[in-house]
Amino acid sequence: MCDYYFDGKGKAFRPMIVVLMARACNIHHNNSREVQASQRSVAIIAEMIHTASLVHDDVIDDANSRRGKMTVNQIWGERKAVLAGDFILSAASVALARIGNTTIISVLTQVIEDLVRGEFLQLGSKENENERFAHYLEKTFKKTASLIANSCKAVSILGCPDPKVHEIAYQYGKNVGIAFQLIDDVLDFTSCADHLGKPAAADLKLGLATGPVLFACRQFPEMNAMIMRRFSKPGDVERARKYVLQSDGVQQTTYLAQRYCHEATRAISKLRPSPEREALIQLTEMVLTRDK
Amino acid sequence: MMADWGLRFFSTVVLLVKVDCENMIFFFLCPFFRGFVSDSRNNLQMRGLVVLLISKAAGPSTADISFQHSMVSGIYSSQRSLAEITELIHTAFLVHRGIVNIGELKSCDGPLKDMQFGNKMAVLSGDFLLANACTSLAQLQNTKVVELISSAIGDLVQGIYYENSQSSEENCLTDDICISTWKDQVFLSHSALLAKSCQAAMELAKHSAEIQDMAFQYGKHMSMSHKLHSDLQPFVKESSTDTVAFSLNSAPAVLHQEFLGREAWIKQIREAQGKGNIMDYKKLQGAIKAGKGVTSAIDLCRFHGNRALAALERFPPSEARAALANIVYAVTRFP
Repeated sequence: MCDYYFDGKGKAFRPMIVVLMARACNIHHNNSREVQASQRSVAIIAEMIHTASLVHDDVIDDANSRRGKMTVNQIWGERKAVLAGDFILSAASVALARIGNTTIISVLTQVIEDLVRGEFLQLGSKENENERFAHYLEKTFKKTASLIANSCKAVSILGCPDPKVHEIAYQYGKNVGIAFQLIDDVLDFTSCADHLGKPAAADLKLGLATGPVLFACRQFPEMNAMIMRRFSKPGDVERARKYVLQSDGVQQTTYLAQRYCHEATRAISKLRPSPEREALIQLTEMVLTRDK
Repeated sequence: MMADWGLRFFSTVVLLVKVDCENMIFFFLCPFFRGFVSDSRNNLQMRGLVVLLISKAAGPSTADISFQHSMVSGIYSSQRSLAEITELIHTAFLVHRGIVNIGELKSCDGPLKDMQFGNKMAVLSGDFLLANACTSLAQLQNTKVVELISSAIGDLVQGIYYENSQSSEENCLTDDICISTWKDQVFLSHSALLAKSCQAAMELAKHSAEIQDMAFQYGKHMSMSHKLHSDLQPFVKESSTDTVAFSLNSAPAVLHQEFLGREAWIKQIREAQGKGNIMDYKKLQGAIKAGKGVTSAIDLCRFHGNRALAALERFPPSEARAALANIVYAVTRFP
């Protein structure tokens, strides 16, 4: 049951970044391309934490499909799904402890705490428009970017003793992570269900106002009421979707994601040039242009 | 106990619904869970207490003198945090145990929406507690302890998973498990956390591997006999005018099946079931009492109690050690 999502059909986006970052840092530090075993473990742990959070998220949101398959909670029921998530998390912590570095443990437990806090942030919303946007970005950071940022930081700590490099790795991961999620929210509006592996407009159905909605709200103030009632009235979801597609919410969100990617590129450019560094820069492009 | 607990949980959830703001939820959660842990007749803080007592009983390690001044009343601050972590993990899994399968609900269970929300809150608050436990664990700065406690979480999940897979198979009345399987499962779901926490407390004070093992053995056997003791309650109470339902997978029932043979046991259950699939627990209880299940469960409980006491022998005599021994006497005493 725990193997269910580890079928190699996910994008493995996070471990890829982590391994690339590990190599880029190693080259920066002592020109070695070898990835240390401990750095590889961090990549594995990052994907495990991510999967555990997916399993719990699906129970929380009562989702039906993920990565083109039925969700665990649909097949085995909620109780077992939650336990499976806990089990993956405990396996991740055992692997984490085996690395044997207390700094790495603190950095990666920060992720777990952020994930839970992000989920709590998602429960609430703010009345004021500006606060609402800040709230959305904070939630995005905690739920998505924290994992990438902190695992990048962890491999940089293992690869190179210079705190400046740790900060670069962290900033890169953070900005790419936020951009990644912004595009994810855009795809929720522009892509169709088959392509995405999960149903479209899922966020609206959950009552969540994501980036495109918040931008659209500036053009169509009548959406405010819908956001506050979390799209709960019949027809709300369809109307909101129409408003968003009419407005430039999608373009604005994409633009914002571009700015974050730009920030990420700027951070990573401070490292010594290497093919891996170039790959990380190209990856920011891929984040922006992906369609699934 | 579980049903009562679930009820209390849902009444608190109702309280939470009214406060749709994440800060308030945070604000509520902390004292709310602290209340949960301490406010109980069932002494839910048993695990934390045992960790503190065993830390005190072991005292400072001779290997490391420089360390000693950081002790407060014979316990290191790291051991105090460990006791808290143990309680946090235990509570987190009490919350996660309470999750219901939405698909299996019937309309008489109340509105589906409320149950979904209850699930959502249960997952989140359990995760919140676990995340806090992980953070405190990381702050202990000891990778061996992190590994021990993480593996205890893994064991706990496996134990609860077995529990669940049993209760879901409704057409099968009881599991065909022998007492050694029962012991393995109870070790995972009840003993592993306490045993490994006790061991970790010794590791934090840099005690030898032998002392660590003794602490592990105490935690393991004490919680085994604790579990046997509570399984035995429906069978040993004097004034059993009203019979409470008991699990057909509790120790006396499993042992009863071993003596009787599976077929005869199934036949007894079918007789007790009678019409309308309502189990006559009184009749079943009588059947088990008539057999050797109860007495051999008591023997097993005392056996584990003695093993726990034997492990304690390795610690120097102290008030804390006496208290740990008293816990064992309490869970091996029967009317």
